[in-house]
Amino acid sequence: MIAPLIRGEGLTRIFHRRGGFLGRGVPMLALRGVDIAVNRGEAVGVVGESGCGKSTLGRVMLRLMAPSGGRVLFEDRDLATMGGAELRALRRRMQMVFQDPYGSLDPRRSVGAQIADGMAIHGIAQGAEAAERVAALLRQVGLDPTHAQRLPHEFSGGQRQRIAIARALATRPDFIVADEPVSALDVSIQAQVVNLLADLRAELGLALMFISHDLHVVRHLCDRVVVMYLGLVMEEGPAAEIFRAPAHPYTRALLAATPSMHHRAMTAPLAGEVPSIARPPSGCVFRTRCPMAQPACAESIPVLRPLPGADGRQIACRRAEEIAA
Amino acid sequence: MLAFVARRLVISVGLVWAVASLVFLVIHLIPGDPAELLLSQGGIAPDPAAVEELRERLGLNLPLWQQYVSYLGGLLQGDFGLALQDDHPIVDEIALRLPRTLELVGMAGLISVVFGVPLGVAAALRAGGALDRVFSAAAGLALSIPVFVVGTLTVLVLAQQLKLVPAGGYVPFARDPARHMLLLMMPAGTIAVGLGAVVFRVMRSSVLEVLEREHVRAAQARGVAPATIIRRHVLRNALTPVVTVVALHLGSLLGGTVLVEFVFNWPGLSGYLVRSVEARDYPEVMGIVLVISALFVLLNFLVDLLYAVIDPRVRHG
Amino acid sequence: MRRAKIRPLILPGVLALAIIALAVAAPILPLTDPVRQDVASRLTGPSALHWLGQDEYGRDVLSRIIWGARVSLSVAFAAAAAAAVAGTLLGLLGGYFRGVVELLTVRASEIVLCFPPLLLALLVVTLLGPGAATLVLSLAILFAPGFARVAYAETLSARALDYVTAQQALGAPTARILARTLLPNIAPPLIVQFSLTVAAAMLLESGLSFLGLGVVPPSPSWGLMIRGARSAMEQAPLLLFWPCLALTGTVLVLNLFCDRLRDALDPRGRASGKPGFLGRVLALPPAPQTPATPALLSVEGLTLQVPGPKGPVTVVRDVGFTLAPGETLAIVGESGSGKTLTGLAIMGLLPAAVRPVAGRIMLAGRDGTPRDLLRLPEPELRAMRGRDMAMIFQDPSSSLNPLLRVGAQVGESLRAHGVTDGIRDRVVTLLRQVGLPDPERAAVAYPHELSGGQRQRAMIAAAIANHPRLLLADEPTTALDVTVQAQILTLLAELKRAEGGMGMVFVTHNLAVVAEIADRVAVMYAGEVVEEGPAAEVFAAPRHPYTAALIESTPEGDAERLSAIPGAVPQPWAMPSGCRFAPRCAMAEPACTAAAPAMEETGPRRAARCRRWKEVA
Repeated sequence: MIAPLIRGEGLTRIFHRRGGFLGRGVPMLALRGVDIAVNRGEAVGVVGESGCGKSTLGRVMLRLMAPSGGRVLFEDRDLATMGGAELRALRRRMQMVFQDPYGSLDPRRSVGAQIADGMAIHGIAQGAEAAERVAALLRQVGLDPTHAQRLPHEFSGGQRQRIAIARALATRPDFIVADEPVSALDVSIQAQVVNLLADLRAELGLALMFISHDLHVVRHLCDRVVVMYLGLVMEEGPAAEIFRAPAHPYTRALLAATPSMHHRAMTAPLAGEVPSIARPPSGCVFRTRCPMAQPACAESIPVLRPLPGADGRQIACRRAEEIAA
Repeated sequence: MLAFVARRLVISVGLVWAVASLVFLVIHLIPGDPAELLLSQGGIAPDPAAVEELRERLGLNLPLWQQYVSYLGGLLQGDFGLALQDDHPIVDEIALRLPRTLELVGMAGLISVVFGVPLGVAAALRAGGALDRVFSAAAGLALSIPVFVVGTLTVLVLAQQLKLVPAGGYVPFARDPARHMLLLMMPAGTIAVGLGAVVFRVMRSSVLEVLEREHVRAAQARGVAPATIIRRHVLRNALTPVVTVVALHLGSLLGGTVLVEFVFNWPGLSGYLVRSVEARDYPEVMGIVLVISALFVLLNFLVDLLYAVIDPRVRHG
Repeated sequence: MRRAKIRPLILPGVLALAIIALAVAAPILPLTDPVRQDVASRLTGPSALHWLGQDEYGRDVLSRIIWGARVSLSVAFAAAAAAAVAGTLLGLLGGYFRGVVELLTVRASEIVLCFPPLLLALLVVTLLGPGAATLVLSLAILFAPGFARVAYAETLSARALDYVTAQQALGAPTARILARTLLPNIAPPLIVQFSLTVAAAMLLESGLSFLGLGVVPPSPSWGLMIRGARSAMEQAPLLLFWPCLALTGTVLVLNLFCDRLRDALDPRGRASGKPGFLGRVLALPPAPQTPATPALLSVEGLTLQVPGPKGPVTVVRDVGFTLAPGETLAIVGESGSGKTLTGLAIMGLLPAAVRPVAGRIMLAGRDGTPRDLLRLPEPELRAMRGRDMAMIFQDPSSSLNPLLRVGAQVGESLRAHGVTDGIRDRVVTLLRQVGLPDPERAAVAYPHELSGGQRQRAMIAAAIANHPRLLLADEPTTALDVTVQAQILTLLAELKRAEGGMGMVFVTHNLAVVAEIADRVAVMYAGEVVEEGPAAEVFAAPRHPYTAALIESTPEGDAERLSAIPGAVPQPWAMPSGCRFAPRCAMAEPACTAAAPAMEETGPRRAARCRRWKEVA
């Protein structure tokens, strides 16, 4: 088996919320030991509700945020042990696309200059050559290359997201983390951007970590899916398989709750809401809302293990055998 | 709530300590010998023997840390040392004058709030109207007139030209309450011109901002009457920024008393301070600056508590 | 910056420049020496030689005022500049690096803020002796923490923005991020702070000079002049007037400039004026005299406008739909389609700037008589809000007042409509009805103690308190997680069953949600309804190309590629002529751009706004 392009091992991340006497802070467990791997050219979808840690995971993978525990390896090199210069050089190969098309571009600089930033920083191209590359990138994402001199506010939300994608592509990366890149866009524009990402992936052989709360989009774009809840992976496996036959009770509930144009809701919705990450339930974090929960579920955090009888799927549930049966 | 109060209290005590230490350091670490500085008059080098004697008296020959410890120790026991000029205990003079300054500050704050808050609300509810324009322009002017100009002009017009009021001074309340209040109202009113304008402005913009909020629209959607909406959903929410800004201006308010006490001959702490600065009596200056700064920290502590009273989210940390 | 925003800056800007120019030009102006004494003619009034008279030493007052401006302004500018450089640097570093750096820069500098400003200046003056250099130093120390605070707060919020993270992701060195990305973006508030500081420094400088602890005589300074004139005010009151005027005027000009600058730099612009509920303008043409359709709600020809720089802009045009009792109508559309404004128009809660200019909204109240909500006086409308019709909003965390207990806000609905007894019990019952786990506790909780879904349940409880005939829901699940969204949708469906005959208008952008809950759907595009009809039929066989394209572009099913709609929604001030969807429509032909199509009936209670609806399928 080929080594994955990038992988995270046992990633944890703790934030401290102000509070308590003398503001010592309440620990908030955003990530609680996540293993994840992305192969070359593969699109991995990370889905879950608010507070599941999916955005934190994306930032930790790119070391825009240091993990509190665990490590991230890019081509088997640990990002934490790299020197500052080495890490900056590596950033050429991994890029990010953000959710908010209005916040992700500097309002005071032309879009061309922002796309060219990465080339200048990494000495890829300068002057006329850079301008040429910017024009080519704008064309590639479906924008008019003569608009490079314009400021971000002259573009619509969908166009800005294309510009952000062009900026990420400028350094010819191998790996892109896209954090809810279409959530802020209108449906008709969403489809444009999803199609663009799919095309670019096919064209350039990009590896993609696609973070989203929208199951339909993930299903459309990704090869593999990781389902998260309260900082832990509940289930992971090939996208088609997971959507065809979700195994973990949480994945099932999530799919059932997602409204669809073609059928009305299948089951009664899940009770309760996602607990605070400052006070996660003991044992299996999902047990407080799980229709299959037993007293034993409160005892220990279930490990992610292969789902019996299903190739390439993993599940973190004590009752995996009963589910598979 | 208790944890909140305790936390703010610890921070406040820490701040007072930091202020005391800073005052100490500023006096002792700046280049030049304080004793020499004190005795030099008009650029003539002082008598070395006199300098040495003063150094001895002030304990300046001791190592810095010993001076610091005895300084803090003195403060804890309420001992601010003796004045250089006439050897009277500084703390006595402060105790005598502090209440007068507090009275002035309190009255000025009261006048500012009594006028600033209702006028700010009225202007916001008629934003763009005649009343709003007149009061907004007046507030802009009031903010631009230095407090000592207001004071001096008040004395000039009311006391000198029209002879309506005395030019200033002080009478204890017990001796003549009416005259005491009259003499108090002039400097307090002078301070309130600027402070009231600040309160007015913040209240106005705060109310305008709250009126746009979604919960106001939600109350409207329930059919709640406008007067009730303004009372329940606008005023209280609009107060938080006012408290913040007034807290930010407490400093200039306390500073403003220096000028106003000078103009109106109000025998508060500030006049004492000016006299000490002129005489370069540095133990006195240190003591007064420390007391006023501690007062400032205390007022900020009270403001923090006020926040907690207004906003339940602050209480729950 | 737009020209309209710069115009208010011109007057104070020109005045400030004039004052500065006068001060700079003082040495070359034909002025008397400001320190030359002429004791013989002391306290003389204005004369041809001395326009503003002579002071207590017989010096020329005009000359002293102009030379005094030089002193005051140079001290103020020098101090403000020094404070700006030092403070910005501290704040920028502290805000970007946080942690220990923050403690050493911003927090350390804030100790200065523990001293009342004038006092700190006095302390410095005691130690260094009066003089201009001391003044600049002490004022710079005083004002630097202010800059540090502003720069820190701005850096902190800018640092969390994605475009800064994007620079980090690109591997940009820290110095480059600070200088090229952060500094330009935090500059506007710092410029405002600078002009504020110049004015504040002038006030402090003059105050210290007035006390005799600032500028050293005989140098001319406004504060010193006032001090001098004060002692002679019985003989020559006018002497006091000139320096006071100069000082106040200069500070006023600076403050005015600063206020206007802040307005110009504020991206939100100025407040739009009088809030809507304090008075409503009813300047509408008379309603059409056609009999109203026997329905719960019927909207006909609703047209809304907002003022624009080139005349009014129509944001909603000729919108119409009907709703029978017990039905759920979904208004679906993308951003800018006018769906939310349409909903607010029904409630009579339009923002102040939006004006209805045509159409009518007929609602059958609890007594059965239809009333035109657009033309109803505010008090009558208010009596209907929360009673005949109620509304729930998109974001439950901002639509509840954070300072009032949840129960009090639910009870408000009852109280506003005449209920006085047993409110507490009825509130608890309502909260139980909307499925809050512990209704007694929830009633006395503050909104921040509830989760997002619970808050939305509380909002729903407040809305249904008086059993309204019509419930308006504006994107009520958009801010919620999908499992919670499912709960809320289920709750709304249950409530509709329980409140027999209650109609619901559900505004959303999510087609799947529409399919889930709606009986009827009105699809809006660019301010118009383009298709209306039974939801199931519309989804199965859309009759408008936009509806069809929208359904196709929804990422469901197994299509290899989504069919996207090219282009973007047109802006309200740049609407295409003819059919508004034509520029993005695959079926458009020249005739489509020639004239705006009207709603055509395409079936029983179904209509579409397309010339070629028969060909759509």
